[in-house]
Amino acid sequence: MTRCLLCEQQLERRPTWQGLLGIQKKQHLCEICSNSFQRADIIEEGNLLDSVHSLYEYNEAMREFFHQYKFLQDVALADVFAGELRSVLKEKIAVVPIPMHPDKRIERTFAHVEELLRSAVVPFLLLLEKTSTEVMGEKTREERLAMKPLFILQKHAVIEPITYTIVDDIYTTGTTLNQAAFVLKEAGAKRVEAVTLIRA
Amino acid sequence: MGQPFHTAVRDFLDGRIWLRRHTPFPKDIIDRHIQEGFIQTIPGIQTNTTVLNQTHHTCNRCENNDPTRFTTFHCAKCEGTCTYCRKCLKMGRISSCTELILWRGEPVSFSIQHALAWQGTLTSSQQQAADDMIDSTNKGRSHLIHAVCGSGKTEMLFPPIHELLLAGKRVCLAAPRVDVILELEPRLKAAFPETSIEALYGGTELTKQAAQLVLATTHQLYRFRHTFDAVFVDEADAFPYTADQTLRQAVQKAAKPGTPVHYVTATPSEELLSTMKKTGSISTINRRYHGYPLPVPRYETLWNYEKQIKKGKLPQKLIVWTSARLKKREPFLLFFHHIGLMEQALPLLQALDGRIRSVHAAHPDRKEHVQALRNEQLPGLLTTTILERGITIPNIQVAVVGAEQKIFNKGALIQIGGRVGRSVNFPAGDFVLFHNGITYAMDDAKREIERLNEGGIGK
Repeated sequence: MTRCLLCEQQLERRPTWQGLLGIQKKQHLCEICSNSFQRADIIEEGNLLDSVHSLYEYNEAMREFFHQYKFLQDVALADVFAGELRSVLKEKIAVVPIPMHPDKRIERTFAHVEELLRSAVVPFLLLLEKTSTEVMGEKTREERLAMKPLFILQKHAVIEPITYTIVDDIYTTGTTLNQAAFVLKEAGAKRVEAVTLIRA
Repeated sequence: MGQPFHTAVRDFLDGRIWLRRHTPFPKDIIDRHIQEGFIQTIPGIQTNTTVLNQTHHTCNRCENNDPTRFTTFHCAKCEGTCTYCRKCLKMGRISSCTELILWRGEPVSFSIQHALAWQGTLTSSQQQAADDMIDSTNKGRSHLIHAVCGSGKTEMLFPPIHELLLAGKRVCLAAPRVDVILELEPRLKAAFPETSIEALYGGTELTKQAAQLVLATTHQLYRFRHTFDAVFVDEADAFPYTADQTLRQAVQKAAKPGTPVHYVTATPSEELLSTMKKTGSISTINRRYHGYPLPVPRYETLWNYEKQIKKGKLPQKLIVWTSARLKKREPFLLFFHHIGLMEQALPLLQALDGRIRSVHAAHPDRKEHVQALRNEQLPGLLTTTILERGITIPNIQVAVVGAEQKIFNKGALIQIGGRVGRSVNFPAGDFVLFHNGITYAMDDAKREIERLNEGGIGK
């Protein structure tokens, strides 16, 4: 018996040709929950960060999703957007998740961006290291811009002159993504793109 | 002082099963109590390996053991494979590396001074049911009060609860729905003014007191273990209690072993009736406290109502019925099986009176709208089955739109009809089932109501 990961309703199973052939994608959400997320596909371009592709709007359903995923630590929810993330990231050659501070990671018991990628079966490189435990969401724009570097390169990390794609859950002011892009470009990356699940 | 432990810690923890890292006390105080043996710790998830080398998990808080409701992942905290329970996740995640704590020191001793301030008197059949329940409690046997809607079920519970409180016992009155708890809280507080009472439902603030009488949604009972000397379950047939095995286990777990779990409902399930016949005892009340019969549903055809409403047209019969209520200034409830259909019908009904509103489980103004209907600020409400039980509004008139829908089973229809004619000043009222075909459930509900009115006992 399969239930919707979010509302726990039992999923209706209709016999389909795809199902018969065994090529049907595994469903994680019911139709109602699935329709509550608003696909946006916003693509913004810039200098330091060459482009940012944000998949969804930050609506009420998405806010609740992240509350359950990050705050209630429901790792199982990493599966919800696995298919969507995979289709955007499968062609990328070097995927770099935004890292968590080790203390923060132990507190949450998992690194939420890495889990999203793991569920999406997207291979990734751990090239960056978070320097502080400060939380972006608690800062004003001015405070964010005045901050010391958030990331450093991991020891022994080698950056090649290729295109890197950084992945984060949310794109708000862009401080996090820009700082990560800066570190990668400084070290010799040719191009840095970003993919985020939501645009706030 | 003189106590080797903090009384505040004891008062909070005694009877509860709690997350070690989420108590309202500083960590070092909890740690010291654990070292000195006042608090026992147990792992959050019990994992056993079967002979076939399959792992089997049980959540030590909610006792969920359904393998589909667990998720296993690589945990950064314990640096290993960790499993958590998704069933009770919203109360704070329980995983293999989290610890639960239980009070093992001297228990709280409860007061034996309790006044019963309720001024009314029970009818002889109510008194009989209350006496039967006291008798069952003394024998440690479960008891079911099967009493029609509007027979004064809550009042019948006052004597058995009072009896237990006077003996210094701890009592829980549980119900599957928040609405029922919200309605019970002021009534119980008024009836037992000297008793420490706490109401627990999703979103209530944590209090540190050890309440002797706990009102709680059945969900909240996940957080108690072997706590109460008796648990009373009101509206025992309501969703999700009947549908959810772990909720029923939670109620059993909250009661001390060997103490009774009592049930009160107008529409017991066949399963509950047969269990109680075998292992417990039953009192039946088939008259309302005011002595008037239950309203019998009448059928009205409403062909293709879904299609019409979806096209933006309100069926003529609904216009006539609603207009009549508005003209006579009678408050009304229109029950719908589906939120989407209800929201489509709302503007069509608002064309008759702009003050009409709708409510459903997740509606932000749900409490306010119901209160406005009570205060006569609204002429009527459209609702899903959330208002099928627990609400009393004098002279309310009720219509079900689409009574043939599966969600309106026999029990639901009896409960919905039970909203009508509850007040002694307005002991009758309209109970109409608009349908697109008559179902067995409709006939069963009607027959049962007629049988109860004839004085027969529910099957």
